[in-house]
Amino acid sequence: MSEFEDDVVVRAAGLKKTFTLSRKQQKIEKTNVARKVAVNGLSFTANRGEIYGLLGPNGAGKTTTLRILSTLLKPDAGDAEICGYSVVKNPQKVRDKIGFMTGELKLEGFFTPDYLFTFFGEMHGVEKETLQRRKKELFSRFGIDRFAEVRVKDLSTGMKQKVSLVISIVHDPDVVIFDEPTNGLDVLTAKVVTDFLAELKAMNKSVILSTHIFSLVEKLCDRVGVIVDGKSVADGTLEEICGGATLEEKFFEIYRSVKGEEV
Amino acid sequence: MKLIALMKKEFHRFFHDPKLVLTMLMPGVVIFVIYTLLGNAIWQKDKDVKYEFEVLLQGESAITQMLETSVAEAGWELTFTPAKDAETARLAVKEGKATAYLSFSENFDEEVAAYTPANGLPAPQVKLFYRAADSDSMAFYTLAETILNAYENSLANKFDFNLGEDFNLSSAEDITLGIMSGLLPFLVVIFVFSACMSITLESVAGEKERGTLSTILVTSVKRSHVALGKIIPLSCIAVIGAASSFLGVVLSMPKLMGMSVGSFMTGFGFLSYFLLFLLIVSIVPLIVSLMTVISAYAKSVKEASAYTSVLMILVMLLSIVSAFVSGIGEWIVAIPVLNSVICMQQILTMSLSVWQSLVAVGLNLAYTALLVLLISKMLSSEKIMFGN
Repeated sequence: MSEFEDDVVVRAAGLKKTFTLSRKQQKIEKTNVARKVAVNGLSFTANRGEIYGLLGPNGAGKTTTLRILSTLLKPDAGDAEICGYSVVKNPQKVRDKIGFMTGELKLEGFFTPDYLFTFFGEMHGVEKETLQRRKKELFSRFGIDRFAEVRVKDLSTGMKQKVSLVISIVHDPDVVIFDEPTNGLDVLTAKVVTDFLAELKAMNKSVILSTHIFSLVEKLCDRVGVIVDGKSVADGTLEEICGGATLEEKFFEIYRSVKGEEV
Repeated sequence: MKLIALMKKEFHRFFHDPKLVLTMLMPGVVIFVIYTLLGNAIWQKDKDVKYEFEVLLQGESAITQMLETSVAEAGWELTFTPAKDAETARLAVKEGKATAYLSFSENFDEEVAAYTPANGLPAPQVKLFYRAADSDSMAFYTLAETILNAYENSLANKFDFNLGEDFNLSSAEDITLGIMSGLLPFLVVIFVFSACMSITLESVAGEKERGTLSTILVTSVKRSHVALGKIIPLSCIAVIGAASSFLGVVLSMPKLMGMSVGSFMTGFGFLSYFLLFLLIVSIVPLIVSLMTVISAYAKSVKEASAYTSVLMILVMLLSIVSAFVSGIGEWIVAIPVLNSVICMQQILTMSLSVWQSLVAVGLNLAYTALLVLLISKMLSSEKIMFGN
């Protein structure tokens, strides 16, 4: 373990990630450059009991950053520590400390929420009694109990999202990472999710979420990092960043100053 | 615990889906039913058919007696009726009123006895009019043709070869064994391949394509456990599928050959069966692992299926070549899958080498272990898992 301040739960330092673009991808992105820097020296910290938002346009590097934090991708340079464990050197330890939810990670439709909750609990090594208790609590909290024995493929989109949510936190992680948590959800399910994020914060958990929805950041986040082209261009509390203006106004001001173009 | 949970999940996925279970067991049942029906049809046919030939005859020859004797031996009936004239007789055959019309030239036997090709005169003639479309007429034609050819050959007889008794000392069992030894190992490989293919591609490439494999990779489970958690249950399931197909062939092949299952099965001892079982069981995890490597590499089930088809053709070709080519050195035991084919062939031809079989089994398991390590590495590779 490296130097680890009590309150800092996530510390990203100089993260860099480059991807090779296929010819097809180059065509889509209208470029002749075969390499794309997705994250370019990104650094930030997230404290215990706070919600940290990564705000940026599509392709800014938010998802890549979250994938590095969740150990699915290895950074080309830099490192990130979660609860003191390096994502590069100790990925397995990191995975026990985090819950990761993204639209790209799916649940097998053949199984029921009940089966999957138990299965993923076992994958994280959760004790049987604890698992049963958490299943009861979370299923009841999200209204999944009535659908516990219905196959995931037969559930509504909202219910699927709720099941994914509870499964991502089956092992009661210290850090919860959400990639675009309310994307594609109806207003009711979106509210359930945002309320739960606030609850996690109240439970002294750290939440890192990526989004491009200003209202979500304003409503939930204690601190925010603005990313443009893989670089951190602003980092701080909403007050520090906005200084009285709305987040939307400030974001476009920052964006124009970085990109030098009209939006 | 995590490995057990992963294995349980694969078993649960398979055994709670009746469609998958049915797909896995169906080939064996289908093979058994088709081969048995085919065998019954072939062997019943000759037993049941009783021909009654009514042949119109013109002229005389000792050949007619030979025909009568042969027909009587087969348990059939033959009646010769003198033909009024050639034209009426031909018409009667054409209209199906007679089985055939057999015509000998005048003084046929005497002329045949006196005939020498060297004097340049035309040879005595036998004419047999028949209808190929009629099975009775065709059967008589085949019989008459065989006897006439044999009679013609005997006229110029200089020596006899294998006259009188049955010189072929092979029993029906030996013939069956010969066919089985060449064919069975090849069939086993195909069955194992098909069984593995139907579940592995879906379970590995399918999960990767749908994004459900990544969900498992985000947990703290070891990559090697994820690999084993796929390979062990999939191998067990594939063994069931392969065993179903294998039993389908073993139980129906003797029927196809017209012999009882019991007399065929008693041809082998316990050791042979045990080694056969070990060899089959050792190639299943190897093939499952190979397909898991392919599935983990492929971006979709479709892509994995295309790669696996190439692998299957390669293994099939090598299997069939090695099964029918003799004189391959002992080094063959080092080649995965093929070593099992050769050893199975040896067992089935009663020339088994225990050490070769055991080495083959050991090596197949060692190759599987290496592939498990490779799969673990692949599961950790973001390039392979996420295409980056």
